[in-house]
Amino acid sequence: MGTTTTDTAIEYRDVCKSYGEKSVLSHLSLKVKRGEFVTMIGSSGSGKTTALKMVNRLLEPTSGTVLVDGRDVRETDPIQLRRNIGYAIQGSVLFPHMTVEDNISYVPNLLNKRDHDRTRKAVHKWMGIVGLPDDLLDRYPSELSGGQQQRVGIARALAASPDILLMDEPFGAVDEITRGQLQAEISRIHRETGITVMFVTHDIGEALRLGTRVLVLDGGTVQQYGTPEEILADPATEFVSQLVSRQRHTCDLPEDQLCACEHSGAARARAALDAR
Amino acid sequence: MPSQIIDLLTQRWDFFQGLLVEHVEICLVAILIAIVFGGVAGILISEYRKAARPTLGVVNFLYTIPSISMLGFLIPFSGIGDATAVIALTIYALLPMVRATYTGMTNVDPAIMEAAKGMGGTRMQTLVRVQLPLAMPVIMSGIRNMVTMTIALGGIASYIGPGGLGVAIYRGITTNNTAMTIVGSLLIALLALVVDAILGFVERRMQMRGQRARRTNRRLAIGAAVVCVAAALGATVPGMLASPSDTIHVATKPMTEQYVMGEALKTLIEHDTNLKVKLTEGVAGGTSNIEAGMESGQFDLYPEYTGTGWAAVLKNKGTYSEDQFDTLQADYKKRLDMSWVGMYGFGNTFGIAVRSDVAQKYNLKTYSDLAKVASQLNLGAEPDFFEREDGYDALCKAYGMSFGKTTEMDAGLKYDALDQGSVDAIIVYTTDGKLSTADAKVLEDDKGFFPSYQCGNVVRNQTLREHPELRTELKKLQGTISQRDMARMNYEVEEKGKDPKAVAREFLKSKGLI
Ligand SMILES: Nc1ncnc2c1ncn2[C@@H]1O[C@H](COP(=O)(O)OP(=O)(O)OP(=O)(O)O)[C@@H](O)[C@H]1O
Ligand SMILES: [Mg+2]
Repeated sequence: MGTTTTDTAIEYRDVCKSYGEKSVLSHLSLKVKRGEFVTMIGSSGSGKTTALKMVNRLLEPTSGTVLVDGRDVRETDPIQLRRNIGYAIQGSVLFPHMTVEDNISYVPNLLNKRDHDRTRKAVHKWMGIVGLPDDLLDRYPSELSGGQQQRVGIARALAASPDILLMDEPFGAVDEITRGQLQAEISRIHRETGITVMFVTHDIGEALRLGTRVLVLDGGTVQQYGTPEEILADPATEFVSQLVSRQRHTCDLPEDQLCACEHSGAARARAALDAR
Repeated sequence: MPSQIIDLLTQRWDFFQGLLVEHVEICLVAILIAIVFGGVAGILISEYRKAARPTLGVVNFLYTIPSISMLGFLIPFSGIGDATAVIALTIYALLPMVRATYTGMTNVDPAIMEAAKGMGGTRMQTLVRVQLPLAMPVIMSGIRNMVTMTIALGGIASYIGPGGLGVAIYRGITTNNTAMTIVGSLLIALLALVVDAILGFVERRMQMRGQRARRTNRRLAIGAAVVCVAAALGATVPGMLASPSDTIHVATKPMTEQYVMGEALKTLIEHDTNLKVKLTEGVAGGTSNIEAGMESGQFDLYPEYTGTGWAAVLKNKGTYSEDQFDTLQADYKKRLDMSWVGMYGFGNTFGIAVRSDVAQKYNLKTYSDLAKVASQLNLGAEPDFFEREDGYDALCKAYGMSFGKTTEMDAGLKYDALDQGSVDAIIVYTTDGKLSTADAKVLEDDKGFFPSYQCGNVVRNQTLREHPELRTELKKLQGTISQRDMARMNYEVEEKGKDPKAVAREFLKSKGLI
């Protein structure tokens, strides 16, 4: 699939999706360039998962077209399509009856049944990349911490070296510190492999930090699609400006100059102490 | 009783062992078929949900059919024997299997299923690698229930011919051998418990994790598979190798005397000729089911009673008497291509027995004598005799008699009641074992009210043509058993607890036949 000439990895053309009367996605049109890291953000029920699942045909649009590598997904074999698209499902559901090793090698095993050596090497490589020690290989998902499970979920999505990676809130249930580490790792993986990523998140900070482009959805319509800088500098709608208002007000002064800016939290706190 | 059970088990262990093996074979086949078909059906309806309701409805309905009627429905299609038993057991085993599979499959977390699908597994790969393994605990517990149920239900298989431990139970019931019935039941219960324990072990092993456990499991699974295949081959191959045409299939009805005659036939034929005899003993439903098997060629011969052949098989009207034997013989040849060969010499018909002192007091010899004094006597009989058309009322009409009192009683209690004087006369079967020791006189049916039921062998003519030596053997039995002999042999089995086979051998020896 990598031989196509277009440099657009994913394209939505006027895609609508409704369940009965209820429209959950209306007239979505956008292009994702090869190697891009698109973060999708929006309130719950805004259609993020819906849009994501259309890429690997877990959902079909009610109208409009989704193209992957320039080809209408409806004309592709869904099995082949999915094998080239890594998928980390919302909540990173691992197969509970399989060890970590079997979970990660699930997709490679579907592809090359006999080449156990190659699969084992790939598993080892991805364990390293997502920062899991090899002695976890024989463990079952129930014997892992939440963060470890999410790392395995990422490794599993990446194990067959797909061209596109779809991630649905992969860092949901982990603490701030682990989340930071995972963010750093996924960024590095993206840089090193040049993979195209669509990443759903609820955290605007995460969306701005990770994305090369950010897609803001609300009520099934696109509020804004642009680089983090564009989003921060020019929020297109009221919804977007509310979403990024904290980030717009954050100032990144170095530690020793924090009190120099009178608007910084540190300066205000100092002033309050001095006034006593 | 416990000591009787232990004696029976130790003395006749070979007999029980054979039944045990047969039981396992019949159940195993049914279980395997049910697992495969029920499993596949369960998977299919979890895949095509629309079909789930109707399919579960149908298997549910089948499940509710009482087992006796199920066998009744099946016999016209699949005859008497293993096939019917296996089909019936399979039908009952289907419901728990289909339901467990369906429940297991549909209860797998949809998120996991979506993950598997989204990762590019084909439907088949997802099924085999994800859905089935996750549904396995539920399916496995369904299998455990189903297996226990099938083993218990396997007891009814004997009602329609094939072996299994039900044979012991049924034989115990028909020949008044309680210990035999108990041993059969105990062995079934024991078998069910042991198999359930084995499956429990399998279940636990399957839940075990880790490399070593998995490696051991694989070895155990291979070992078990080898044992199963070997057992299956051992069970089927010798049967297939033995040339079937040299085997005579003999059926008997569920009556003590028929068990004895079956063993006598087998012993005699195998003693004198190269033929093998396969006995299917105590076929439930008696004549109607055996006759169907005779016509389809499943059985070659069975002991039958002339009156029954006349009325139940040929469906002739009127009371049969022995002067009509030539007509009976001719009709059998013409309509069924079968013959009566080797009339044993005894009849098993209804009779009236009066206590000796009563017989003496009124000088009773015939029913006509009885009619004169009946109004002063109390007659005991089974409820059925008072119900049936050719029973009490017809008898009274024929002889113009009327008993002073009648008492309905269970077959097992008749003789005791007569002995203790609570009744004066009872309706008997003329070969009742207890009759041989009862202090009673059997009166003569001087007007021929009760049909004659002389016992003889009904044989397929085709079998006689293929094996002419068979006719010679059956002829040897002609006139060898008197009414008294038969009653005595029944007594030995029913009251003394002797093995019908041993009684048959003693009889043949006493007649110099072996
Ligand atoms: N099968 C369905 N039938 C009807 N409505 C559905 C179905 N699946 C999703 N929806 C609706 O579509 C809308 C969009 O759902 P979607 O899962 O895309 O939301 P989301 O943006 O991923 O939300 P979250 O952040 O909570 O995951 C929701 O209002 C949801 O209720
Ligand atoms: Mg979602």
